[in-house]
Amino acid sequence: MHDSLRPQRILPLAATALLILLLSSCSDSRNATAFNKDWLITHLSAEPATLNPITSTDAYASNINDYIYESLLKRDEKTMELVPVLADSWDISADHLTYTFHLKKDIRWQDGHPFTANDILFSFERIRDPKVDSAHLRNYYQDIDRLEVIDDHTVRYHYRIPYFRALEFCGGIPIVAAHLFSETEDFNQSPIGRSPLGTGPFRFLKWDTGKEIVLVRNEQYWGEKPKLERVVFKVITDSTVALQVLKKGGLDLMSLRPIQWVKQTGSERFHKNFRKIKYYLPTYSYVGWNLRRPMFSDRRVRQAMTMLVNRESILKELLFGLGTIVTGNFYINSPAYNRYIQPYPYDPEGAVALLKAAGWEDHDGDGVLDKDGAPFSFEFLISAGSKFAEQLATIMQENLKQVGIQMGIRKLEWAVFIQNIQQHQFDACTLAWSLSWESDPFQLWHSSQAEKGSNFVGFKNAEADAIIETARKEFDAAKRNVLFHRFHEIIHEEQPYTFLFTTEALVAVARRFQNVQVYPMGLAPREWWATEQQSE
Amino acid sequence: MANYIIKRLLQVIPTLLGITLITFLIIQLAPGNPATLKLQMAGQGEMGESAIAQQIIQQTKELYGLDKPLIVQYLLWVKRVFTLDFGNSFKDHRPVLAKIAERLPITIQLNVISIVLVYLIAIPFGVYSATHADTFSDRALTLFFFFLYSLPSFWVAVLLIMFFGGGDFLDVFPVYGISSIGADSWPFFRWLTDRLWHLILPVTCLTYGGLAYLSRLTRAEMLEVIREDYIRTARAKGLSERVVIFKHALRNALLPIITLLAFLLPAMFGGSVIIESIFSIPGMGQLGFESVLSRDYPVIMAITTISALLTLVGLLISDILYATLDPRIKLE
Repeated sequence: MHDSLRPQRILPLAATALLILLLSSCSDSRNATAFNKDWLITHLSAEPATLNPITSTDAYASNINDYIYESLLKRDEKTMELVPVLADSWDISADHLTYTFHLKKDIRWQDGHPFTANDILFSFERIRDPKVDSAHLRNYYQDIDRLEVIDDHTVRYHYRIPYFRALEFCGGIPIVAAHLFSETEDFNQSPIGRSPLGTGPFRFLKWDTGKEIVLVRNEQYWGEKPKLERVVFKVITDSTVALQVLKKGGLDLMSLRPIQWVKQTGSERFHKNFRKIKYYLPTYSYVGWNLRRPMFSDRRVRQAMTMLVNRESILKELLFGLGTIVTGNFYINSPAYNRYIQPYPYDPEGAVALLKAAGWEDHDGDGVLDKDGAPFSFEFLISAGSKFAEQLATIMQENLKQVGIQMGIRKLEWAVFIQNIQQHQFDACTLAWSLSWESDPFQLWHSSQAEKGSNFVGFKNAEADAIIETARKEFDAAKRNVLFHRFHEIIHEEQPYTFLFTTEALVAVARRFQNVQVYPMGLAPREWWATEQQSE
Repeated sequence: MANYIIKRLLQVIPTLLGITLITFLIIQLAPGNPATLKLQMAGQGEMGESAIAQQIIQQTKELYGLDKPLIVQYLLWVKRVFTLDFGNSFKDHRPVLAKIAERLPITIQLNVISIVLVYLIAIPFGVYSATHADTFSDRALTLFFFFLYSLPSFWVAVLLIMFFGGGDFLDVFPVYGISSIGADSWPFFRWLTDRLWHLILPVTCLTYGGLAYLSRLTRAEMLEVIREDYIRTARAKGLSERVVIFKHALRNALLPIITLLAFLLPAMFGGSVIIESIFSIPGMGQLGFESVLSRDYPVIMAITTISALLTLVGLLISDILYATLDPRIKLE
């Protein structure tokens, strides 16, 4: 029987062997994490699909490409005005149909090739090429009739219709280096997807799949050189792990979840090494009501639904108060947002009165509101994986039940969720939009977009349509904002969405970085520099 | 024997075609469409102007080859696969095989190590349980293994990370990735220790849950064998207990465990989504999971086809092994 003890004899042995291995490599891994103070190590929660600026669709890629690529103009971080980058200046014709850009001379790609008008033409043609996987971008360049190359340093866009965002679109076109491509090559498979090359302040160094993407300072940069030597994007898929790595000093910058902001980053030690920053970004979440459903076709019912959602308490309980309630479709910190509009209060009694006025009452005494014999019962569609949506749905279900409305919850995987919404197979759903600084309500709210476009709730309002159409051709921002303020009023009155929150972006940054400014559209790490590591 | 193998190999072809056809139909008929998903991924979350958006979706479908009838698409796929071309991923247009090749080595490393560990630990403990059947230590051991078995791996992973990864307790193990920065340029031995160092926590998570099943199986088989006449004969002959157990009993008891090898081949190929996500390991699990979510048909098809093939081959190998090890079984 003694032989059966064998396994126990083997195990400690194996364990000791492992331990020796561990101890021997312990010191190695320490050294490896020691880094140069001028490196910014930042967190990626997932990898971009490709870094080709024309075929990439995810935010990870655009975040990285912002360091590498440049366009003709950009929106200045501080003033939010459009300022020249690769263009020296531009002329706009009086009818707002032609945009002529005069390019800076002596700009070179990071491989030394000169940058010319031809690169812009090539990029423009690729975006419009059906063989190129750029569906998402092509959409924005449909109104351009053609792009004319006047000489090596001048290009002219010809628009078919005047449009207030035309300058931003045609001047902000992603530009790739034409000389890197041959005619026979499939653009989608081009090596620039894995090793991008731009004109910007940082150049690409390497991409280890699933591990990290490294950029280094472009020493030949034409403009003001950044002070950071490297920007390293580390892929850490789990945010709990990422926070731990940050605390250990393996990351300098990461976005925090609300719970991490409130509960896991409060220690003195954390405060000593990191600064926590919160700021607003142009996004908002909402509950969309399908206006094609009889019950939601009545404005009073939609207003009542909003009054039945206790937004203040949801914001406080679920989001730790890290955000603000919004009343409309524009970015809350932009001039287009109408600040005079107050959100509907949480008011179940007022809601019941509104519902009664709309004909919804409990006629048969079964505890459920009904109208013309049909009970008030609907399904709330949420996307699986959104914890917030799930909690919100449960709270709403409970609140609605108290006034006699039955709400079922249906959780769908993202691809299926989106398909249902696009085919209008839903009663109500919750989603969020992210906006740009200047936004155009056309895609979301114009009646022409209700059948197959993004106006999936089916909102149709003649006055709103007229405002949208006028605003698209209005080039005076102040006049446009007057129009948008009225538009905001209509949206508030009609409540096609129950607007929820604009939540704050939460980040932690290592204290050794200086000049960490918060701009209206977020942080700009490329202007940071580092001082010697703070002593602990 | 040779005839048998050839016959079985030929049978693999129709089975594989059937599996791939069904998979192909399921993923294509499932709701969600890569072309529309792509447009919705667009920068601002907006779906685009209606008429134009429809036209662009159509163009994208053509680009991905999704505009043809399903059966044509399938036949074209089969034709390409015969030349070992699994096509390009919709997501980044890189060849699917290159994407798999990039992720396979780490998945195999993780799986080989954890499978070997499971066998090394579970079988001896199974034998111990059998020889000490119904004693306190047998029960305690069984209880312990089932306790491990019932711990969810994501929870254990997070606990391990918090306790050993430099949270508020010990800081002994790295908590993400499979090697340190710059490890690729290190000398082999240093690279290897660094790699093993990184693998310890994920391998632990992948291993502990498998112990219960295999040790119980070994125990049951051993108990059955121990009751056989030839064991009594061996004991009667005066052989030492050690020889009886390890030479006569264990060898026979291990036969059914060999059949399990059939499932090891495909298991080597598949990764664990949960463990890979928690430890940021770029393995097959993540690739498969992401490709399903983004409806990346070529990648899904390639992964399914390869694991189906490996399963079929694994079954064949275990049948052959069985016949080789047990002369009573004939393959005809």
